[in-house]
Amino acid sequence: MTLHTASEGISFAREMEMATAKFYEELARRFPEHAETFGAYAAANKKYVSDVERAYYGVITDAIEGCYAFKGLEPDDYVIDVELGAEVDLAAAVAQAVANEEAMLRYYTDAAEQSSGTMHDVPRAFRAVARKRAQRISDLKAMAAR
Amino acid sequence: MQGYISEDVASGIDEWCMPTPLGVFGVIGPFNFPWMIPLWSVPYAIATGNTVVVKPSSEVPNSQSFLCELAEEAGFPPGVWNMVHGGRTVVNGMLDHPDIQGITFVGSTPVGRDVIYRRCGETGKRVIAQCGAKNFMTIMPDCAIDNTIAAMMTSFFGNTGQRCLAAANAVIVGEDDKFYEEFVAKVVEKASQIKIGYGLDESVQMGPLRDKAKKQNVLNYIDIGLQEGAELVLDGRDFTLQGDLPDDCFVGPSIFTNVRPGSRLGSEEIFGPVMSIMRAKDLDEAIRITNENPFGNGHSIFTQSGKAARYFQYNVVSGNVGINIGITAPVAFFPFSGMKDSFFGVLHTQGKEAIRFFTESKVVIQRWF
Repeated sequence: MTLHTASEGISFAREMEMATAKFYEELARRFPEHAETFGAYAAANKKYVSDVERAYYGVITDAIEGCYAFKGLEPDDYVIDVELGAEVDLAAAVAQAVANEEAMLRYYTDAAEQSSGTMHDVPRAFRAVARKRAQRISDLKAMAAR
Repeated sequence: MQGYISEDVASGIDEWCMPTPLGVFGVIGPFNFPWMIPLWSVPYAIATGNTVVVKPSSEVPNSQSFLCELAEEAGFPPGVWNMVHGGRTVVNGMLDHPDIQGITFVGSTPVGRDVIYRRCGETGKRVIAQCGAKNFMTIMPDCAIDNTIAAMMTSFFGNTGQRCLAAANAVIVGEDDKFYEEFVAKVVEKASQIKIGYGLDESVQMGPLRDKAKKQNVLNYIDIGLQEGAELVLDGRDFTLQGDLPDDCFVGPSIFTNVRPGSRLGSEEIFGPVMSIMRAKDLDEAIRITNENPFGNGHSIFTQSGKAARYFQYNVVSGNVGINIGITAPVAFFPFSGMKDSFFGVLHTQGKEAIRFFTESKVVIQRWF
């Protein structure tokens, strides 16, 4: 189902953030030596949801302009995998996390670009999350390399 | 309270202006934004020391009732934030009540002009009457086409066209037939893809009209447009409704071309999802067409030319002017303006004008011996 309205886009972002937050909480449980990092990622995901929602509720509503926020975002372009195998090791888990983060980075980047016609707070919120995602990907790759 | 002071206006004499509250204000709200619109007045009135009597639309009073309860829960003293329910009789009572110092109203032009504004004059009340609209969107050939069309969708069809800042007429400027035809084709294509259904479904882009009578009103205007010779290039009577819902109050987006500015379709407020497209040979003609309409609420221009935009802002007669903005809603520290048949009164809601509206100026002249 193609996403057009701002609320659809935000709901989709929320689903991804919450699913990956659970994924990181599970990683924190399985890999206690990295519990602090993964736990922080899970907490940050929840904050990203509120950051985007605040920008949305603060400046627009679907009644005003959000119904036509996106030309069309395809959820299938941003598939994440949050199922962890029973025996997965840290390297594989981090690789899975990086793949998810890259999908979410693509989503936020595309959402920011497509919502440029709305009040600027909305694309700016998407871009801010995208920047943090890019940093997280870099950190995860560094973790995998250690 | 946003007063002002001048020291030493004469030797040893200071003088300042202290805005002071007036007493009780009546706030009469419309149906289309039942929660938001009374908030153009109530916070200003109360913050400046007055009390309010809010009369929400009798069709949708729940959100204001809830807000009033929240105010009570928050600790507002009894009698500060009051509410009455009802229709014409209650409004007349507010208009005639000697203790009410002023009225703010948002609604139709006939009621605003002929009832609210007139009666407030007769009873010596301050008045802000924000009324109807027929907003024109001037489309220049150098506009950013995709962004302009996106803004058109939300301005013409957002809230199912039921708002005083909704665009109603698109005036496409220039004699380039190719641009005109391609632009209109894109607008029609985009509008035909609008998803219609239950308003709280996130994927839905256009919900129902307020009631069956409002739908009938829109259907009547479609008939009027056809009778007047306009060409119906997208027929809102033929639409697909998402979900298993009765279609009593739903209508799709309609687009007419070849609309004459002076026709009923092109000049009267419809308050529904109907776009009337007109052509103008140049910007001057577009502004002339716009200004000949009796309303002046929220006209806009879409262009990449600063010169054209500047010319438009100075020459269009409109309380709110959009430059590449489809819904010309001012933020809270600017007045929600309006001109001609869209507004009756002097000061407007919001911003410093609201502070002045809800207060009387008391001037203190001070000297110490």
